Amino acid sequence: MNRSGTSGEAFHRGVLVRRGLALLAGAVFVYAGILKVRDPLQFALDVNNYHLVSWPIGVRLAFYLPWLEILAGLALIFYRAFSGALAITGALMLGFIGATIWAEAQGINVDCGCFGAAGSNLSFSWHLVLNLSILLVLLFLWFTRAKPDEITPARAASA
Amino acid sequence: MHSSVVRQILLLLGLAFLPAIGQAVYYRNAATWSAPPVDSALVTLSETKGWGDAVLWVDARPEEEFARAHVPGALLLNEDDWDARLRTLLTAWAPERKLVVYCSAKSCSASHAVAERLRHEAGLENVYVLEGGWEEWKGRNP
Amino acid sequence: MNARLILAVSFLACSLAGTAGAALTWESKAADLHPSLADKTTAAHFKYKNTGEKPVKITSVHASCGCTTAALAKDLVAPGESGEITATFTIGDRYGVQTKTITVMTDAEPTQATVLKLTATIPRLLEIAPAFVYWSANDTLEPKTITVKVQDDYPVTKLNVTSTDKSLATKVEPDSETKGFKIVVTPQEAGRPINAALKIEPDYPKDAPKTFYANVRVDSRAKKPPQ
Repeated sequence: MNRSGTSGEAFHRGVLVRRGLALLAGAVFVYAGILKVRDPLQFALDVNNYHLVSWPIGVRLAFYLPWLEILAGLALIFYRAFSGALAITGALMLGFIGATIWAEAQGINVDCGCFGAAGSNLSFSWHLVLNLSILLVLLFLWFTRAKPDEITPARAASA
Repeated sequence: MHSSVVRQILLLLGLAFLPAIGQAVYYRNAATWSAPPVDSALVTLSETKGWGDAVLWVDARPEEEFARAHVPGALLLNEDDWDARLRTLLTAWAPERKLVVYCSAKSCSASHAVAERLRHEAGLENVYVLEGGWEEWKGRNP
Repeated sequence: MNARLILAVSFLACSLAGTAGAALTWESKAADLHPSLADKTTAAHFKYKNTGEKPVKITSVHASCGCTTAALAKDLVAPGESGEITATFTIGDRYGVQTKTITVMTDAEPTQATVLKLTATIPRLLEIAPAFVYWSANDTLEPKTITVKVQDDYPVTKLNVTSTDKSLATKVEPDSETKGFKIVVTPQEAGRPINAALKIEPDYPKDAPKTFYANVRVDSRAKKPPQ
């Protein structure tokens, strides 16, 4: 690397900040995913608690979503299939926020299952703040991301 | 959206299926795939009214609470002493009876556990759980 | 607000309150118990320590199920002091994974309940399916089979089956497929209602024998099969 001068440093710092944020967001998704993967049946009940989808769909989602979260989280952490992972985690986050607000509006007790059992200590407003800030981070990463061509799906597969 | 982003999304969506299917196979017997495991047979008090004498009430609360008060005609059946009480219940049972299990309130789980065992171990059909439990019944029958 | 209502509300709203400034620190809020076949009860010990600077009073300890009792050695905890809550789970005729919660309230956080979780995995020696056989008015008295599966490779080699009604013939056959047994039940008398229990006694464990039951009912209108 032979970047020099302030603009180069600023650029470098920008990359570091983005990678740091991606690491953080990725870690949150991996953590949330692992908590749920450990007890998919409980998560299925949590999903069902929202009364958003029927049980047959909900139980299948309960087996699938946590793995998707882990995988997309890992992709964010290791900077593989990055744009795809951002799109997926962003969509998941929008879905979670929507579902949390829906549940609150319906007066459903939101032991939302978002963070497995650990989530039962979080209030609705904290959930929302946490989810929104993660969403903001994802949006920031999306709009400042490098061109997706830099990372090919073939490399992502090895992640 | 850029086509490579779409490719990445599809790749991640697809890859996530592999462990998910693996885990689903591992859990194939533990999970219920077509209906929720317990809440499927919740009935409201007004629904049970329509069943008249076909209802056979099953009290899943602890014995002390049953002794204090219970739905008239209800039989005690809890997991503290399952075998002996199940026998009494099966003596009163008939194919046309509808078993309605209740525990103390909406949040209790004993009624679900008892209903589940009646269905799966004794192989009984027409087993229901009263929504709201004993509190609901008492509230409507003061 | 009375204590019961506070508890009910705290159950519902455990996710609606913050966790800031907890004065009691718990070593673990979850316990995994694995009682043996012979155990009648199993207990979890939840250890806590007052890491705050003021004494904390434990105002209530409430178990989610009548089968669990929670005992507290002392309700006033001085700063730096440790203690434990013992939750005793009565097994009764339960089996499988049982999850119970114990809700603890303190005066340090009157609106925030601490929820302790007890998970007991209770072994089961025999799985009897169905545990109830019934011949209805429209049935003929053909034999019915009850399958007895031995769980977790316990060394059960023999079942002793006795009926409370003598007119029920029972035959025990080893089931090579499931490494368990089959009990073939045949009512030999028609024209009267039969309400009986089959006592099923495995030869293991020898030091803590347990009797299992299957139930039999025969409608008086059920007919004998043609000879």
